[in-house]
Amino acid sequence: MVRLITHNLLACHAKGCTTNNFPLQFKDVSIELREAEFNPEFLKGFMPRIEWKALVDAARQLGDTTLPSEMPEMVDDEFLKNLHHALLEVHVEEGAMVCPNCNHVYPVSNGIPNMLLAEHEIA
Amino acid sequence: MSPPTAVKATIISDHPQTYEDEHVHAVYDEIAPHFSSTRYKPWPIIARFIASLPTGWVGLDSGTGNGKYLPLPLNRPGDIWTIGVDRSRNLLSIARKAGEGDVTREVVWGDVLGRPWRDGAFDYAISIATIHHLSTAERRKAAVQRIIQSISPSHGRALIYVWAIEQDDLSKRSIPSDQTAALTDSTGQDVFVPWVLTSPAPKVGPKVKPRRRKQNQQLETPTPETSQEDVARESQQRVFNRYYHMFAKGELTALVHDAARGLALEVGPEPVGSEEKRRGLHIVEDGWERSNYYVEFKCWECT
Ligand SMILES: [Zn+2]
Repeated sequence: MVRLITHNLLACHAKGCTTNNFPLQFKDVSIELREAEFNPEFLKGFMPRIEWKALVDAARQLGDTTLPSEMPEMVDDEFLKNLHHALLEVHVEEGAMVCPNCNHVYPVSNGIPNMLLAEHEIA
Repeated sequence: MSPPTAVKATIISDHPQTYEDEHVHAVYDEIAPHFSSTRYKPWPIIARFIASLPTGWVGLDSGTGNGKYLPLPLNRPGDIWTIGVDRSRNLLSIARKAGEGDVTREVVWGDVLGRPWRDGAFDYAISIATIHHLSTAERRKAAVQRIIQSISPSHGRALIYVWAIEQDDLSKRSIPSDQTAALTDSTGQDVFVPWVLTSPAPKVGPKVKPRRRKQNQQLETPTPETSQEDVARESQQRVFNRYYHMFAKGELTALVHDAARGLALEVGPEPVGSEEKRRGLHIVEDGWERSNYYVEFKCWECT
């Protein structure tokens, strides 16, 4: 599965690619929306660990424009529900993620991202 | 002739990656559904570790296999998220549906020697029955370093679990003591562990679906694999030899120390009231549980 919770953690790890290697850019993706259990306590705990701009940009790329550009200091239920949807209910099923630095392509198929590198690409 | 379930000593003959491709990854891709049908119950130390994690934490399961740890803790589902990585694509297809109900898990196709994450992105990591499939000490150390690098330098916690030379009485496995005695010291032991698969691979039909969970809990005993005895009675079978490095006493903890120092981390408890910038790793607990060695550690940082 590539949901944005995972996308927010992934970075390119090809040989020599150590700067500007995050966030990966979605390319030619197809998405599916699937409901997930709403857990506001999880979201509040995870929020400080999120790279916010990467999340907002990725969500917009996938057609979800509900998240504010700045992470709010006070959170209400509506915001948490939007965050929940963006992080956990939007599934990238097919397509690819491309490194913004070295253009390495990481394919996504059947919802599983392929982050393997060929031996000569391993750092 | 030894029975098909006996453990054999082995010498690593090829380039390590090639060797592991043949004797670990290819095997798991072949045996994935059968393997998965025997792997449900988490070991107590692992369940306890996961239960202790605070709500809101996100973690990495490095070598997730069939993803049996991804749904934990069962009594507070969704309070933490564990993302599973494995080299076997077939096991990942099972892992993404791990657990009760229709919950989709997060899984990534990758290698435990890879590092496809922001540094320190995770709050915790587990690596269960995985590092013992790496065929050189250097690669096992690198795998531990990838785990350390993936968790937060200031609060990251990790649990690593590997197979031990010292097997408990419940294990019916015969360990080759004579021919490998010379290799058995603090550097562990390299062996093949056979997995017996009834062959040919069954066509999909109601009779050959993986057995249900309830029955499998009866079969489960706390050793890395047990159920091959059941299928070994069948007439047609194929034996897959999986490579394992069986850890010696003290070897796992020494490996973590070595890995930490290689990343310029201090080894030991967090200093109290330190004025200078320091980073380190503290072994919280290590020990032996049911034929396995485990080590739990946490990272600390003074700034
Ligand atoms: Zn790159």
